[in-house]
Amino acid sequence: MWLLLTILLPLLGFALLGLFGKRMREPLPGVLASALVLASFLVGVGLLLSGGARLEVGWLPGIPFSLLLDNLSGFMLLIVTGVGFLIHVYAIGYMAEDPGYSRFFAYFNFFIAMMLTLVLADSYPVMFIGWEGVGLASFLLIGFWYKNTQYADSARKAFIVNRIGDLGFMLGMAILWALYGTLSISELQEALEGPLKNPSLLALAGLLLFLGAVGKSAQVPLMVWLPDAMAGPTPVSALIHAATMVTAGVYLIARSSFLYANLPDVSYTIAVIGLITALYGALSAFGQTDIKKIVAYSTISQLGYMFLAAGVGAYWVALFHVFTHAFFKALLFLASGSVIHALGGEQDVRKMGGLWKHLPLTRWHGLIGALALGGLPLLSGFWSKDAILTATLTYPFGGLGFYLGALFVAILTAMYAMRWFVLVFLGEERGHHHPHEAPPVMLWPNHLLALGSVLAGYLALPHPLPNLLEPFLKPTLAEVEAHHLSLGAEWGLIALSGVVALVGLWLGYTFFQRRTFPTWYVTFEAWSRESFYADRVYNALLVNPLKALAEALFYGDTGLLRGYFGLGGTVRNLGQGIARLQTGYLRVYALLFVLGVLVLLGVMRW
Amino acid sequence: MSYLFASALLFALGVYGVLTRRTAILVFLSIELMLNAANLSLVGFARAFGLEGQVAALMVIAIAAAEVAVGLGLIVAIFRHRESTAVDDLSELRG
Repeated sequence: MWLLLTILLPLLGFALLGLFGKRMREPLPGVLASALVLASFLVGVGLLLSGGARLEVGWLPGIPFSLLLDNLSGFMLLIVTGVGFLIHVYAIGYMAEDPGYSRFFAYFNFFIAMMLTLVLADSYPVMFIGWEGVGLASFLLIGFWYKNTQYADSARKAFIVNRIGDLGFMLGMAILWALYGTLSISELQEALEGPLKNPSLLALAGLLLFLGAVGKSAQVPLMVWLPDAMAGPTPVSALIHAATMVTAGVYLIARSSFLYANLPDVSYTIAVIGLITALYGALSAFGQTDIKKIVAYSTISQLGYMFLAAGVGAYWVALFHVFTHAFFKALLFLASGSVIHALGGEQDVRKMGGLWKHLPLTRWHGLIGALALGGLPLLSGFWSKDAILTATLTYPFGGLGFYLGALFVAILTAMYAMRWFVLVFLGEERGHHHPHEAPPVMLWPNHLLALGSVLAGYLALPHPLPNLLEPFLKPTLAEVEAHHLSLGAEWGLIALSGVVALVGLWLGYTFFQRRTFPTWYVTFEAWSRESFYADRVYNALLVNPLKALAEALFYGDTGLLRGYFGLGGTVRNLGQGIARLQTGYLRVYALLFVLGVLVLLGVMRW
Repeated sequence: MSYLFASALLFALGVYGVLTRRTAILVFLSIELMLNAANLSLVGFARAFGLEGQVAALMVIAIAAAEVAVGLGLIVAIFRHRESTAVDDLSELRG
């Protein structure tokens, strides 16, 4: 019962704010929403300390409504509600005096409730409820300022692109049901322990589930929605990117690790897609001029890292990166939000610069976030990224190619992270604003997130040092045997990735302070700004043909309607013409009578 | 034959009168004209083929008288009601 409460508390907030939010005075909806998420967090902590929980209610025949809080889902629950709570608090300040204040928090609570459903589900259909729920919530939040058509379009784009992935999810569920007659994750886990019944079909199911994850986590080729999702208010971006929706794909893979551990080919595919996405996101981040879009592309790239880790079989490492990423990505977004707030809505980094002396606290948030993203040694991002790099070599589905690719992306990551920081905070001022520091209600969440960005990595340190996370998560994940490197090799790799990160950061720091750039970089930046024309290719190949088809059908439809309408119109006109004879004028009748008689007589004569 | 011609002429005049006159009284008179044209042709036929036509003519006269009695009554009633006997004003039954 307590387990259900974790979901019901934010859902209660959604209901209350949705019904009575308009009548509450300004900070109250935000405080209420934040408090409910915090309560959910505390209940989750209590349940986790008492050793997990399980709930099963009869629901649809054969598919019970089952929730499970084990180490894995408990871990995710803490990230979602913990980071979610901080973002809620931040939003109290950020959304102040917005006409949709209470509506915003109602959606926010709904988002958290659905994400918790997703995370706690012990059967795929229940997970799917949460899956669709966060899709709906993201649609509502991305299009929160719905009067702007472009924003509303972004919301629809996110929703529609996600539908493609959801179809994969559903088909995957259907195959699993056909194979095993159950969709309960625990039961499937048991069923898969023996020899596999139908490996090729199972691989297809795994691929289809992965397609769902690709949509939700914005992997290549379904990544186009995520940069556009920046249309929503900044706390929304932070919530979607850091703690909730986009990590759902990674969580799905980790939850289904019992399945993927048996499917080396599918795992390999996941790792390849992850690496491609990591590279694509990193390269696209260079050309962006919107402060939030740089961070958005870094999310795509970091999610690629997570999938790379999950693909090679290092599921706990993927979740470790989810964990550290939640802190520094939320921090980066909320710091961006503070900058936007300080500049009165300005989002173009070309008009920023020189904010170092104006924002004495936010500048540190931005610096810590960028350095953690760039993987500065000893910050959280370094430890988790290094764990991924090592995992590509030690886990069975990995390989040297993955390692080198990921290492290259690590340099790029460090460089664009510094680009973001340099353009916003350093150099001379390029805008004509009067920046002002954010209020405490927005600063305090950032202090805590900055603390997390520094410390989160110490939960799982490499080999001889203590690693708390791996033994905590291992029992709930599939066993994939990693071969251990010698101590020297392992620390050699760590030193290498540390050096790579430092070089990348240094390059980024010096390169982007230049006034003029070499021509090759300018060309590259132009490509990068358009994110390598992915949107245009999609528009040319899919969107426009479909639009043309829709318009052709529309014209066909109107033509058909016009035909029917024309027929009806003719009959009506005829009727009106005949009705006009019915004038009531006696002499007209008489005339007609006479004419009629004449005709009759003529006919008879003839 | 000339009776029939006269009758036809008379009838056509009557039709013309019915179609062109606006006043109910004159329409009435025109109708009388048409009835008389019919009577004339009946009498003319009676001359040629036997006396039955005369009977029919008497019948027509009787009916015409009755019709005039009723019709004039109606016209008077309508006139009292509307202060007009123009048939074009009577295009609707509404009082």
